[in-house]
Amino acid sequence: MKPRAVIAGYGETPFSRGKKERGEEQLTLEEYIAWCAELALKDAGLTKSDFDGQGLVVNGAQYPHSELWSCEVAQNLGITAKRLVRVDNGGESAISSLGRACDLINSGAVDRVLCISADAPMSVTSHPYPYFGEPYVYGRDFEDPYGLQGPKSVFAFIMRKHMELYGTKLEQTGKIAVVSRAHALLNPNAYFKEEMSLKDYLDSPVLSDPIRLLDNVMLVNGGQAFIVTSPESAKKITDNPVNVLGVGECYNYYQGSRTRPDVTTTGITAASKEAFKQANLSPKDVDCFQPYDDFPIAVIIQLEDSGFCKKGAGGKFVEKTDISITGDLPLSTGGGQLSAGQPGLSGGHVPFIEAVRQARGDGGRRQVKGAMVAMAAGIGGLSYIRNLENTGVAILGSKDFSG
Amino acid sequence: MEKPLPIVSHLTEPFWESARKHRLSLQRCEECGTYQWYPKAWCVECGSRKLKWKKVTGKGKVYSYTVIRHAKASPAFTEELPFAIAVVELDEGPRMYARLLDCPIGEIKTGMRVKVAFEDVSKAISLPQFTVAR
Repeated sequence: MKPRAVIAGYGETPFSRGKKERGEEQLTLEEYIAWCAELALKDAGLTKSDFDGQGLVVNGAQYPHSELWSCEVAQNLGITAKRLVRVDNGGESAISSLGRACDLINSGAVDRVLCISADAPMSVTSHPYPYFGEPYVYGRDFEDPYGLQGPKSVFAFIMRKHMELYGTKLEQTGKIAVVSRAHALLNPNAYFKEEMSLKDYLDSPVLSDPIRLLDNVMLVNGGQAFIVTSPESAKKITDNPVNVLGVGECYNYYQGSRTRPDVTTTGITAASKEAFKQANLSPKDVDCFQPYDDFPIAVIIQLEDSGFCKKGAGGKFVEKTDISITGDLPLSTGGGQLSAGQPGLSGGHVPFIEAVRQARGDGGRRQVKGAMVAMAAGIGGLSYIRNLENTGVAILGSKDFSG
Repeated sequence: MEKPLPIVSHLTEPFWESARKHRLSLQRCEECGTYQWYPKAWCVECGSRKLKWKKVTGKGKVYSYTVIRHAKASPAFTEELPFAIAVVELDEGPRMYARLLDCPIGEIKTGMRVKVAFEDVSKAISLPQFTVAR
């Protein structure tokens, strides 16, 4: 069912690496949560008391400071919520936040929902919450003893498979990194501002072959919040709402058998199908695409799984398509996480908030001309020799095209 | 710096017991016959909890691999750089991570046949690794 909901406001803090020697403040997670909430409320002309008796959606942080995290966030903000949801979907959390907000509004339980996400992995006040005893952790038992180096190693296996099966080339993944950096130069919130060439990408050190240094995201501190309301009450809040045209989600997808799934395919196949059907649109209608870009190879896979091209043709698609802001399919128009930075488990909000911004026409120097349909995708949750577990797609519009 | 070691739990004890004898065992579903890896509390194909540990051939082929050249994320492995980690697809079905003990990095190829070999890393833990099947 197509959601009946709009995004009536949003906010995003600038990103920081918390490097005191560069004069950067090292804020706590709690400060980022309050900061991004303030920005979204200001944007919508609302106050926190407008959310008493309404919905509050809180994304899990990398190191939440309490096991019961969402109620602690509510306590720290002093909001009495009628419905309180914690989403737990890693890089897909922005889409799942939107999905749960739409569900709460469309069920009639609440009229508006404040969705909050922040993370501060670069602050010393963010630290691993201690385990009680020694739980069974498959990663500790069956990955760590072999010397895997986190997400970059997991994506290395996927990228090699994609290169060997489909002939995907480093020049193609590199183009995504280079164009993203050029876009970041136009984004005041982006952290990485040095120009980058394809040669820089190709010459960057190989960390977990074929993953190079410039395939990787860098962690930053930051936070994003957005406000979802029914279309009726949005009229009292803003004259420029962003319409939610479609939200598709798929969790723990297998392409093929559960024993030997194809690691180059994600649940974005199912999620995009659901979102496009709700929106009554197809990939050719998309004016800009904000994929989850923790690695360029993930972008190529999302282009394929969303139907912009066939499985395996993503590399060639990127090679032949102008993916710049003025191009045929503007991609990662704010620089993506690759060049804006990855605010921990709030990373999926980077492409999502950029889609909201573009749909509302707030892109400034990086605004896609006539951006009407903005699409964001999220993937999150590393798996054991598969692709990512949480997948979601949101299609947003400056108008409601599906009517 | 100590390298990370598995911790034996009730769920995984039969696997490590078998590994100590240098035998590779997997959970096999008694309802649908599926072999699965890593150890889980029910069969991910059919949902049965009737799982039995069964010795397997230990033969398979390389599905994918990476060469680790930088170990900042898990620094205990710095002295071993560079080293390769493979995804091995066992003949019985499942895929698992392991090192290739006897294969120079430049000679690793997707599809090459391998067989299990155990590395005794502590009294309790023998890690399954692989060697090239010749």
